[in-house]
Amino acid sequence: MGCGRIPDGDSLFRPVIHPVSFHKKTFAFWKFIYLRPGSDDSLRGSLLWGRFVPTIKHVHKRGCEMARQRNEKERAQGTFKEKNRSVYCGAYELKADAVRALVSAVNSDKVSSADVIHLIEDGEIAHTELRIFLKPGPHVEGTKTEIVASLWNSFSGPLAHRCDCDSDINPHPSGDLPLPPAGEYSDERSHLYLLWCLIRFQICYWFWRIFGQNTSEHS
Amino acid sequence: MRGFPHTVYHRAMIILSSTSGSPADISSGPAEDYSYANLTGSSEFDFVGIAPIRSERQVLKTYFSSVAVLEQWELSQNYQELGEALNEMAALEGADEWRIEPSVYHAASYVAAKLREDSVPAPQIFTHGPESVVFNWSDDNNDNLYLTISANEISALISSPERITQRIDYSASQFLNPSHLLPFAHLGRPIILISRSDTDLPELIE
Repeated sequence: MGCGRIPDGDSLFRPVIHPVSFHKKTFAFWKFIYLRPGSDDSLRGSLLWGRFVPTIKHVHKRGCEMARQRNEKERAQGTFKEKNRSVYCGAYELKADAVRALVSAVNSDKVSSADVIHLIEDGEIAHTELRIFLKPGPHVEGTKTEIVASLWNSFSGPLAHRCDCDSDINPHPSGDLPLPPAGEYSDERSHLYLLWCLIRFQICYWFWRIFGQNTSEHS
Repeated sequence: MRGFPHTVYHRAMIILSSTSGSPADISSGPAEDYSYANLTGSSEFDFVGIAPIRSERQVLKTYFSSVAVLEQWELSQNYQELGEALNEMAALEGADEWRIEPSVYHAASYVAAKLREDSVPAPQIFTHGPESVVFNWSDDNNDNLYLTISANEISALISSPERITQRIDYSASQFLNPSHLLPFAHLGRPIILISRSDTDLPELIE
């Protein structure tokens, strides 16, 4: 099943998990964005494609589930500590074109390509991979800083949220999410278009459940 | 490599030599007791016209909406904490996300020492991995200055909320030359440790 290229104007969401997105007790955008090195010298990150989380309610549902899965994984590994449990705090949004614009951004002549690829991972249909390839040469580390700063400038939000399972946490770290440089998130979709997004999501999800569960990657 | 930046920013900072007293205490004493360092200048402002015709007080009052005020002991303490953080990062092993290579540690320590020597407010610190350390200053307007320090290179990056406004890459030889190191330490607007609004300035300097 293929849902095509992620359109430039589509929303991508990055969930905020405490404590991994925080430094000490403060939200840290550089931990929030954290780009891991790929096996092919690329930088990679994970996002949720808005097509498969068509409403903010869907985004938060996925975020709560991600935090729960992290805690379950740590429990299974015997490393879980209640005081360090993963807590979903909300999400920030950016557009796909903001990622692609990294190639032509000011001073970014050291980026050869930047894109977002729909890549289902661990049964997460909305999972989208951020892939950035750097041109070989000096000052790669400085380019990483430039990429992180550019991406953070493109995020809007925060879409703060408190999961039901975290009602015992007070104060909740979602209250510490800062307003990003791009300002507050605004869903400018019309009701009609939102209805279409929901129907499309249901159809895609249904097809994936029936035919695509064994396919780990599509675009 | 790009040339030296055509846009540099004003930043004033007052450093108090006393070891006691709260920031509020500075309003009670005469301004002459304080020295200030004009850390950076801007070609966008009429920098040349300031000095000959205006007193230091007038310059402060007129051109700076807020002034970073910090005491020497506070600056020392901040840099001591920075040094401890670098030590801890260098001592980490394995896949710890905060671990840095020894060569990066030495380079970052050198830069930190130069910044301290020049009374630049201590930066925040983060990493992308073991091969670099990033020093970061931000101000109330969400303008940021980043110094990405790796073993043999430094990149200076100035970012506004709208875009990346400036990037300068330094090679190893330039990095080791203090005359090249100091100017970019003054780029951008260091974090305001203690600030006073314009309305507070008369109380501070008059």
